[in-house]
Amino acid sequence: MTTSAQSKKRYYDDVQVGDELPELVKEPITHLQLVRYAGASGDFNPLHTDPKVGEEIGTGGIIAHGMLIMGFVGQLLSDYVGPEALRKFGVRFKGMTHLDDVITCTGVVTEKYEADGEARIAGKVQATDQNGDLKVAGTFVAALPQRNAS
Amino acid sequence: MLDTSKIGQSFPPFIIEVGRSKIHELALAIGDNNPVYHSREAAQAAGYKDVPLYPTAPTIFNFWGNVDQWNQLRSVGISVERILHREEEFEYLAPIYPDDMLTGVTTVISGKTLKARDGSSMDILTTETRYTNQEQQHVLSAKTVIVVQGEGEQK
Repeated sequence: MTTSAQSKKRYYDDVQVGDELPELVKEPITHLQLVRYAGASGDFNPLHTDPKVGEEIGTGGIIAHGMLIMGFVGQLLSDYVGPEALRKFGVRFKGMTHLDDVITCTGVVTEKYEADGEARIAGKVQATDQNGDLKVAGTFVAALPQRNAS
Repeated sequence: MLDTSKIGQSFPPFIIEVGRSKIHELALAIGDNNPVYHSREAAQAAGYKDVPLYPTAPTIFNFWGNVDQWNQLRSVGISVERILHREEEFEYLAPIYPDDMLTGVTTVISGKTLKARDGSSMDILTTETRYTNQEQQHVLSAKTVIVVQGEGEQK
């Protein structure tokens, strides 16, 4: 993945409104990943881990945790603004994600401003599957360092 | 059905210790290989005090910290078997590091039951969890919106 993107520090001065975040394409969702995510997050709802339950409630098999998809978008943001830069991150869950779906996360910067003594950017983010169906749509605010900050 | 008389109510506080290995585990599950989330050494080499908070790590505090949450939701009339997560929003107010002891208090912010013409109904509930650290500093807020389809409408 994008090790260079992770280690490169991004400055407020270098970001412009309209800039697109580098697209993040995730590996296909696997059952193992959902089990792993359940243990990591503590969300053991069988809807996400037990295929029998998935069949019974009519979701067409198990579905991914919405928060896993939000986590993918979190990775997109962490890669772009760096860890600890986020001030706000919110999403709305728009659709269910199934096994083998390939999620792509994208985003765009919509605003630059100063608040609480920080230089901040705001933007929109989303996650879609291989058919272009929207899974998650949201917004973020992040604080970035400034060049020649006095 | 949602008991709207419970709006404004807060549930008993819960305490969660921020764990380095839980952040490592979450980043692994998401498939994020950024080394700062996986070891203190890598985080410090990159200039952080310790492993930084993963953007969606507050979900760990909620599920692992507040093990009573399903009963709490039942107590306000939510049918937890049919919950769908509609929205989640985090506000990061100050850095959070491993070994911090956070206290979370969840409050029912708003809720209503929507009725459709065909007689079916849907509950919408918004909760907010405020986290303070061991120095009583408010460091994080998490807002959650869930929806619950009424009886008789399941597929």
